Amino acid sequence: MLRNASRLHACLNGSTSPIASTGCLQEGLVAVRHQATQAATPPKDAKPQKTKFGPLKDQDRIFTNLYGRHDWKLKGAMARGDWYKTKEILLKGHEWILSEVKKSGLRGRGGAGFPSGMKWSFMNKPSDGRPKYLVVNADEGEPGTCKDREIMRHDPHKLVEGCLIAGRAMHARAAYIYIRGEFYNEAVNLQIAVNEAYKAGLIGENACGSGYDFDVFVFRGAGAYICGEETALIESLEGKQGKPRLKPPFPADIGVFGCPTTVANVETVAVAPAICRRGGDWFHSFGRERNSGTKLFCISGHVNTPVTVEEEMSIPLKELIERHAGGVIGGWDNLLGIIPGGSSVPVLPKSICETVLMDFDALQAVQSGLGTAAIIVMNKQADIIKCIARLSEFYKHESCGQCTPCREGCGWLNKIMWRFVEGNARPEEIDMIWELSKQIEGHTICALGDAAAWPVQGLIRHFRPVIEERMAQFAAKNKKTASEKKGTDRVAIAQ
Amino acid sequence: MFHPGGVHGARHIAQSLHHVKNAIRGTCSSKLLMQQKAAAAVAVESKKGTVTPPPTGPAPTAPAAPNSVEVYIDDKMVMVEPGTTVLQAAALAGVEIPRFCYHDRLSIAGNCRMCLVEVEKSVKPVASCAMPVMKGMRVKTNSPMTRKAREGVMEFLLMNHPLDCPICDQGGECDLQDQSMMFGSDRSRFTDIKFDGKRAVEDKNIGPLIKTIMNRCIHCTRCIRFGSEVAGVDDLGTTGRGNEMQVGTYVEKLFASELSGNVIDLCPVGALTSKPYAFTYRPWELRKHESVDVMDGLGSAILVNSRGGEIIRILPRVHEGINEEWISDKTRFVYDGLKRQRLTQPMLKNSQGLLEPVDWEDALSGIAARINRVPGQEMAALVGGLCDVEALTALKDLMNRLGCETLCTEESFPMNAAGTDLRSNYLLNTKITGVEEADLVLLIGTNIRFEAPVLNARIRKAYLHNNLRIASIGERVDLRYETDFLGDSVHVLAQLADGDHKYSEILSKAKKPMIIVGSSSLQHGDGTAVLANAIVLADSLRSKMSSNGDESDWKVLNVLHRHANQVGALDLGYKAGPSAIKQMQPKVLFMMGADDGVVQRRDLAGDAFVIYQGHHGDKGAEMADAVLPGAAYTEKYATYVNTEGRAQRGNVAVTPPGMAREDWKILRALSEFVRGSSVLPYDSLDEVRKRLAEIAPHLTRYGQVEDANYFRQSKDLVWNAARPGHSGQTLPAQQRELEDFYMTNTISRASRTMAKCVTAARHQKSTRYGL
Amino acid sequence: MALRNGITSMLRQAAIVKQHCPASRLSTTTTMHLDANNNDLATLNKTRLDTTEGKSLNEIGLGPMDRTKDFDTRIELDVQDDLTSFNGVPKEHTKGRTVRIYVPARNQMQSATNNSHLWKLDFDVRERWENPLIGWASTGDPLSNMQLNFKSKESAIAFAQKNGWEFVVEEPQPAWQYKHKSYGYNFSWNKRTRVSTK
Repeated sequence: MLRNASRLHACLNGSTSPIASTGCLQEGLVAVRHQATQAATPPKDAKPQKTKFGPLKDQDRIFTNLYGRHDWKLKGAMARGDWYKTKEILLKGHEWILSEVKKSGLRGRGGAGFPSGMKWSFMNKPSDGRPKYLVVNADEGEPGTCKDREIMRHDPHKLVEGCLIAGRAMHARAAYIYIRGEFYNEAVNLQIAVNEAYKAGLIGENACGSGYDFDVFVFRGAGAYICGEETALIESLEGKQGKPRLKPPFPADIGVFGCPTTVANVETVAVAPAICRRGGDWFHSFGRERNSGTKLFCISGHVNTPVTVEEEMSIPLKELIERHAGGVIGGWDNLLGIIPGGSSVPVLPKSICETVLMDFDALQAVQSGLGTAAIIVMNKQADIIKCIARLSEFYKHESCGQCTPCREGCGWLNKIMWRFVEGNARPEEIDMIWELSKQIEGHTICALGDAAAWPVQGLIRHFRPVIEERMAQFAAKNKKTASEKKGTDRVAIAQ
Repeated sequence: MFHPGGVHGARHIAQSLHHVKNAIRGTCSSKLLMQQKAAAAVAVESKKGTVTPPPTGPAPTAPAAPNSVEVYIDDKMVMVEPGTTVLQAAALAGVEIPRFCYHDRLSIAGNCRMCLVEVEKSVKPVASCAMPVMKGMRVKTNSPMTRKAREGVMEFLLMNHPLDCPICDQGGECDLQDQSMMFGSDRSRFTDIKFDGKRAVEDKNIGPLIKTIMNRCIHCTRCIRFGSEVAGVDDLGTTGRGNEMQVGTYVEKLFASELSGNVIDLCPVGALTSKPYAFTYRPWELRKHESVDVMDGLGSAILVNSRGGEIIRILPRVHEGINEEWISDKTRFVYDGLKRQRLTQPMLKNSQGLLEPVDWEDALSGIAARINRVPGQEMAALVGGLCDVEALTALKDLMNRLGCETLCTEESFPMNAAGTDLRSNYLLNTKITGVEEADLVLLIGTNIRFEAPVLNARIRKAYLHNNLRIASIGERVDLRYETDFLGDSVHVLAQLADGDHKYSEILSKAKKPMIIVGSSSLQHGDGTAVLANAIVLADSLRSKMSSNGDESDWKVLNVLHRHANQVGALDLGYKAGPSAIKQMQPKVLFMMGADDGVVQRRDLAGDAFVIYQGHHGDKGAEMADAVLPGAAYTEKYATYVNTEGRAQRGNVAVTPPGMAREDWKILRALSEFVRGSSVLPYDSLDEVRKRLAEIAPHLTRYGQVEDANYFRQSKDLVWNAARPGHSGQTLPAQQRELEDFYMTNTISRASRTMAKCVTAARHQKSTRYGL
Repeated sequence: MALRNGITSMLRQAAIVKQHCPASRLSTTTTMHLDANNNDLATLNKTRLDTTEGKSLNEIGLGPMDRTKDFDTRIELDVQDDLTSFNGVPKEHTKGRTVRIYVPARNQMQSATNNSHLWKLDFDVRERWENPLIGWASTGDPLSNMQLNFKSKESAIAFAQKNGWEFVVEEPQPAWQYKHKSYGYNFSWNKRTRVSTK
């Protein structure tokens, strides 16, 4: 876990200038070229498919000050390679930036995993007079996730520079960074970074001397999870209640202040400069096909050393935890289940965790999702039902109340889940809650309904026997009382 | 035929019918058969014709667009304009998609999720109210996926909805009730009712008209959208989030809108119900009578609900040309005024000078005895704004037969130049719908928000959707939209008419300008100048339009009356204003519904005999020597001509109370008693209306607007006459604030509900939140 | 309702009813026609109970309701005669009664429009009062509780004429015009349709 800034800086220089100083860079470039030629040939050919993912080499790390050991201000950032030849990147034009991002295969890091290059290119419709905006979603509220805040407090210039480059790619007039209200220190650091960048002429009028005017505004939210949903964020940014909008119209058509807007996650934006500097192919060389790049993983829960770490995509989950988080408390065999992508994705049992790779497609294949790559590890100390019930409570609390299935459904799920914790329910209700979660999922305006439904579905899918056992225990405990009373289904009231 | 004789009776009659038919036709069965066949052929023919859309309803006429796209609703193809929502396209195909939050006249919210439908190639069901159609889209409004989505939404809606339908005023006309029957599940799975119960929300006090039972709210936000879009009052909104979200007024305050009652209709559940109507009757117990409102000059379409000789409530009816589907609070809640202060018996002053109840014959003969002593030239008649055309005709015919020609309305109107001789001078010539085409409205001396709330709602609609620009002259009032305030006196108008005001250029650039002159400003000291200058300005704008090649015959000048039948009275030839009466000091004054107190005893001859005919004991009855109890607007078949010149029929909902009678009948009866050949030549409503058609045919062309078109002549008359001078005083708004809105005529003055509204509005003004 | 059924059966037996049955059926007696209908119904019920599997919603009769069909089965008479001379209705309810023929307004309290797709005929209002005994609403007018629904204006007029009633036809107002609506207007940047509150 070496963060050798100067060495990496040298690497960076090497990739964009002829002064190649270290051997590792050469290797990297060769590898990239090799893969590029491979990609051109038909896939049938015996291409040496990459089968080993991770660990990420230090020189391939993008976020080199993730742990705040170095200066996060402009000077330090420039020493780490930020703002290096940004003007040249800008001058290559939006087509070039877009093509690099497309080549890199970058997928949105906010959870949905939509290909960023494609998303940004939606903004390239001819202007109808309205300005365009980039909105950066820094409302990192997903339980378990703590990657964006690390970027913003320790490497804010990566984000600011990313705003400029991404903004250039989509002809944006300005970027609004919507930062979560609770992130006070992060907002302060970010604002300082923005001020520094303005002062240095890196953004603002004639940003970096490229002739392109670009403003960056930091906007502090008021701390609502739903405001991390892109359209709710836009509403909140406009000064209204953060309630999601229906799509269509998509933000690229009608977004913030009624103008075309792209909402992108902090991490997505922050890796854009590195992609442009090192080339899309470099980024593409990590991870499996369609899941390329490096990614910040936030590992929390029952692990020995909870950590946020940048790793290669598609790294096996087990390896990720063992290598970076010091393993599960009590050993791997003590593992109960893992929520691999933040609170809104279904939990995975140990059997799946053994082998699953950490990327969008692999996790989708096991009916979970990468989400924000916030890995919540639960060992056998944890009461899995209670864990999920707590998540249901969270979603009940954070539902905006606009649309019916989520407003009513989340509350209902929460009620039932807490009874499940006690076991105070009948086994039929497991099927009912499954159906209810299906009634919420896909029927709501935004994805919060889905997010509330999935943890419950994951629980039932993998831990149904646990719930049933709990109910049996509860019933046995209350048998005496119940037999005294007549209404057998009113067990709880008898209690 | 209508004897409830059961099967036997019916069969008996039927057989006799059969025989008679055969006898008449001299027929045998084969002949009958042939006739039947012929009729069947006709029936088949006509059935072919029945694919035409139903007579009314939401099925809107298809938009004629050259670039329309085809959409398949349940495999039925419809061609719609691109950008149409799926729900609208379905309506065109005759499929009604269930909805709670969507409303045709409000913005789209898309939050109830009831309108989810399956769209082919879409993984998730889509909200049809917000989804624009795409070419070749295939929508399934009744597929298992759609039905499951609806059932799910329904279950969630009912989960926290209290099961208090038995005590809910919405019961029987509740969208939630009906849709849960139609689309919901047949049983509840909400087992948590045994543990936690349902959501409980505190009720809000938002005024004396609307009762809130917030437990029932399904958060469709229709009321909020109505407030901010139609009424222009951002009082309502949501607080809290998730399951704790509440609809309310943020702080406890009055929902301070003159249109507030409409949220009762909009609310798809029983969360917002009518306070005066609370716990009275079930909707199916009520008899419904379609009628016309008389509270303002617009003649909104209303549905009067009655039960056992009593008006229980008043609801709006859709009328695209007038009120869309809104009515003002005065229209909706005034009905309790119909039960108070009523004149129920004829009365005559006795020797002590006190009014004493008498029977009709005594009353009429007593009146006739007085009338017969006075020559017609010394008689006069004064009518109020609520009198219907039939009664006005009868009164005029009667008085004319007696030799009296002085028949006046209480409302005055400038009589310089053409005055009321040219109909175009006193009509809302562009019609109410003209607001939607106009691009600039100039309001002169009117607080249109309270004088014609529904018209103001339409102006606001055009303001929102068509970027209508509005300018105003006269006392500055809050109209709930931005206006260009030009000045408060007729001086500005004169400058505009001369074209030397800085706003003149903007006015002349308008493609379809509208000038709306409030009738109250015409009764002001500068009234003659207001009308003259408005006519001149309108003419100059018209000539500018035609010189720009505009052939549309756009009428610029509009007069907005505040009374239901002022136009009808003027159409019949009544003189506007009581000045003639004051001049002649009549010995007999016949007052019909004249309650504004514009003529006092001191304006009459010393021993003048005053007859009052009307329905409420108000200022008119107070000064009368004889009182004849008439019928109010819900109690008579009557014609009213609204400010556009649209004749409309009001219908009877209940019969007049006590001995009160329909007004024209009273006059017809009186004509039997008075001298000579005065008997009016009509005995039935039908005959009265025939007489109306003789006088002015448009009075019986119901529902249609009779245009008037003598603007040029009118302007010439103004021009030829000396331009009237003016004092330059502020043109005052007669109804300045919300509290002034509620009590404007004899019915609303008798209403307790309206009195409560006035109190509430005054109280609200005194709180720190203000109005 | 019961009254209307009474009239229906009466008219059916008078064999002057035209219903939407195939022309060939007309040669049989109306009674048979009714029976045939009943048989259809019976078979339909059977189908519903027995074989619902693998059938579409329409096939098992749970599909969208076609309400126009309901109207087709309503009575239409092909005679123009005046029935007042022999139908036994007291003179006071034939002469001097005026009926109003109109398309009923949609109930503004609700969204649905189904009850406004027909023509209604009702009578001039006569006095009603509260019965002093138990407070029921009373009337001396036997026709006041009758409302007749018709498919078309013409049939309503014909019915009124046959019964000797004066009639007033209220033409429906022009229907709601299609107006372009878009969810995006709520967020429009240059229009006043921008939504401020929620």
